[in-house]
Amino acid sequence: MEFNGTATIEDASTEEVWLALSDPYMIKEALPGCAFIVEIEGDEEIEEAAERAPEEDPETLPEAEPEEIAERAFVEGSRYAARMQISVGSVKPKFDTMVTIDDREFPEMNASAEGESSNSSFEMSSGMELVETENDVDVEWWAEADVFGRVAQMGQRVINPVAKRVVGRFFDEIEAQLQEVSEESSGGLRSRISGLF
Amino acid sequence: MATEETDHEDGVQSIDPDDVDTEDILGSAIERREDPALVSGEAEYTDDIQKPEMTHMAMVRSQYAHAEIEEVDTSAAEEMDGVVAVYTADDLDVPGNLPVGWLLDSLEQVNHPILAGDRVRYQGDAVAIVVAEERYQAHDAADAVDVEYERLDAVAHPGEALDDDAPVIHEEAGSNQAFDWEIGDQEATKQAFEEAETTVSLDLHNQLLIPNAIEPRATVADYHPRTDELELDMTSQNPHVHRLLMSGVIDHPEHKLSIRAPEVGGGFGSKIHHYADEALTALAAKDLERPVKWTATRTETYITDAQGRGHETTGEMALDEDGNITGLRVHTKANMGAYLSTFAPSIPTYLYATLLSGQYEIPTIYCTVEGAFTNVPPVDAYRGAGRPEASYVVERLVRQAAREVDMDPAEFRRQNFVPGDAFPYETPVAMAYDSGDYQKTLDRAKEMLNYEEFRERQEQAREDGRYLGVGLSAYIEACGIAPSELVGELGAQAGLWESSVVRFQPSGTVTVYVGTSGHGQGHDTTYAQIVADKLGVDYDDIEVEEGDTDEIPQGMGTYGSRSAAVGGGAIVESAEKVIEKGRKIAAHQLEADPEDVEFENGEYQVAGAPDRSVTIQDVAGASYLAHDIPDDMEPGLEATSFFDPENFVFPFGMHAAIVEVDPDTGEIEFEEYVAVDDVGNQINPKIVEGQIHGGIAQGIGQALYESAEYDDNAQLTTGSMQDYAVPKSSHIPEIKTASTVTESPHNPLGVKGVGEAGTIAAPQAVVNAVVDALEPFDVDHIDMPLTNERVWRAINENGGEH
Repeated sequence: MEFNGTATIEDASTEEVWLALSDPYMIKEALPGCAFIVEIEGDEEIEEAAERAPEEDPETLPEAEPEEIAERAFVEGSRYAARMQISVGSVKPKFDTMVTIDDREFPEMNASAEGESSNSSFEMSSGMELVETENDVDVEWWAEADVFGRVAQMGQRVINPVAKRVVGRFFDEIEAQLQEVSEESSGGLRSRISGLF
Repeated sequence: MATEETDHEDGVQSIDPDDVDTEDILGSAIERREDPALVSGEAEYTDDIQKPEMTHMAMVRSQYAHAEIEEVDTSAAEEMDGVVAVYTADDLDVPGNLPVGWLLDSLEQVNHPILAGDRVRYQGDAVAIVVAEERYQAHDAADAVDVEYERLDAVAHPGEALDDDAPVIHEEAGSNQAFDWEIGDQEATKQAFEEAETTVSLDLHNQLLIPNAIEPRATVADYHPRTDELELDMTSQNPHVHRLLMSGVIDHPEHKLSIRAPEVGGGFGSKIHHYADEALTALAAKDLERPVKWTATRTETYITDAQGRGHETTGEMALDEDGNITGLRVHTKANMGAYLSTFAPSIPTYLYATLLSGQYEIPTIYCTVEGAFTNVPPVDAYRGAGRPEASYVVERLVRQAAREVDMDPAEFRRQNFVPGDAFPYETPVAMAYDSGDYQKTLDRAKEMLNYEEFRERQEQAREDGRYLGVGLSAYIEACGIAPSELVGELGAQAGLWESSVVRFQPSGTVTVYVGTSGHGQGHDTTYAQIVADKLGVDYDDIEVEEGDTDEIPQGMGTYGSRSAAVGGGAIVESAEKVIEKGRKIAAHQLEADPEDVEFENGEYQVAGAPDRSVTIQDVAGASYLAHDIPDDMEPGLEATSFFDPENFVFPFGMHAAIVEVDPDTGEIEFEEYVAVDDVGNQINPKIVEGQIHGGIAQGIGQALYESAEYDDNAQLTTGSMQDYAVPKSSHIPEIKTASTVTESPHNPLGVKGVGEAGTIAAPQAVVNAVVDALEPFDVDHIDMPLTNERVWRAINENGGEH
């Protein structure tokens, strides 16, 4: 299955969007049904990485320091463990997912993912590119996914609307957070972010 | 042979059996005696069975259509509440390999383990089973079994599976070719095509279908360790066949294994086959020494029940300058699925290509069939089984040929029919049709449709921008599969006779035991009608027993529309033996020579002396009293028969649909559906009508709605009834039925079988009608199901204008 689309983040700069989308905690916050995203160290299993998930997530934009975010941002070649519950029709699988950042160079990022639940699984490759327009940023994204097991059997008919809903909510949340960044004039957050690049 | 006509345009009226005299009961449309229990919920199905200490089994099935199994971790499942046992392939110490019951010379017989150990080949393959105290516990624990797979590329379609670069599903077979088979005369057919004035060709896709019996498959197994008896209740169309096969698969002696089919809620072929599930239920019960129940969920049936059809075919027809068919050439790639199911190799070969002559005189035919392993569920018999596929090829080509030579399709058929005086008729594809009169069914259908008037109406409507079409389907089928010697020559690993016992009780009532196994057909009614007629015993005094290996001597079961023709034949033979024994007892009592004793309407009478008579019930009483029977005679009045008929029977008919197609939306609306069927003598016209109606509903389902669809990873994407459209009553038009009766000479009842006729006939009637409607748009063919989108695209591919 192939999906793609363009999400417009209003009143934001490319750098702000890039920083937000590079922050594992921001992604975790914005992604419906995501319980954690943790970087995998060495050959460890998803369950082992999961144990390092903080009980309380650190702050994200606008509260977090941009430099801290840059520090913890996704790294090309790194792998991340994530747990995501998604409801597809009558099936609500909880996927233990391994995400690999395949390429990451401003303003483009590609990642692949493999998720498994007790009776379903998926394999996905995806990517995005940020395009700055007059006041906004267009996130042009694409994904190719294969689904297996019960989700495939029961849910293929509704996967498209589910994907649309998840992606829509994700970018709405990112936009809402960045809105606060643009409203945060004190401390020059916007200039600090652009200064990172 | 004479052909009679009957008209049921307004439907057959049911009759209360109490209003029918015994001598008129055979052929009466009496109400089905099984229905009160079925509709009131009193009937007991497998899943209704409860036993003390009973446990429940659930399967861990593969989430991939093709993968290596790296590791199966059952530890979490074993610790869960209520879990009694978890088994994987490593825990089995029985042969555990499902056999194939029909062989072909080139057949690759691949292993079919009941639990997958190192590789899964379709989503239905079970990797582990879980037994728990409660059903939900078993299912929850099945979800907790952790299986690590290495996913492999998968393939769902036969054409792709036979490509050189396709992933090989059974390495032991070397490729995905399950068999390569041919029938007919290649040289003569080639010559016919070289000499033809005109040829037509169509690429036809006969899509995979899911059988959708209303009751999912289920098994309850109960083992008695002290006697080694293993008792199974299961959803079976053939308990004796299941017993024989399972006895080998689980290595349990056949005489210690009993299989009973309680009420069974439909099968359509899907409950013929021996699946892994029932063998695993039996093994678990044996190992745990506790009863075990397994019932498939609906979604499980979608990925495990053997599916039907699945053909990719190129068909060509050769014609001379007068519009006579001079040759037929067919190449089919048949989807066999991941493994060879019980009778799978016979379906796209002997049950398919032998019917490619249709109702026509075709001088030469040549057909090749390649069977392909794919990563979909095993493909085997589904209502019609091979014959709908054949009828579809023939009737689509005939429609196309008529168009090509610019003849009306009805007249084209009439010109090419096997003439009424040519029976028995030998086709170039190894069949000898018993009897038929194809002109009559065509004439009757045309009359019911007002055919000539319709053609004028169609012309008129086209001028108004409305598109009406008529589709004809002149179908023939071979059913009542027999005789044993012939099917043995063709590769069957079983005989296809049927057995019966007709037994009088001392009080004069009768019980009939038959080796067929009804699952909705109304056998209790129809068999009792046969026996009442033969013995002259009141219909209410006759009980029919089927579907129990402990009660019935042997049996081959119910499928291939064989019950009336073969099972009915066995009943008649036993009844006749009973009458003959009774005649000797009556003669003894009446002090007459047996040759002078006549039997009529339940009474033995000395010829010419009407006051010297005795009823068969009194004879039965005397036979058990045994105080005064002939010296050399054993007591009792019963007889057993094994009936092996002379040949198949060949029902035929003409179905026709009139539709209107909306070119803007691709919607199809029925204006008329008529069915003129000749199924030989009718035991019960109401039951015949019901079978025709149900068959047509499934045929229309295939034509317009149903299709098992798989994605590139061979994952079923139509995995529930929300995605797989089983037609509802509102999808099925009013059906007008009529029948002609041409007796079959191959069984004592002169019956031909009716269980599959509608399903065989309907798809091409509908497709031909739509293609006829779209003639102005130059649409030659649309693959089934004819969804609105497909129809709309077909219209618009040619510009949408005419």
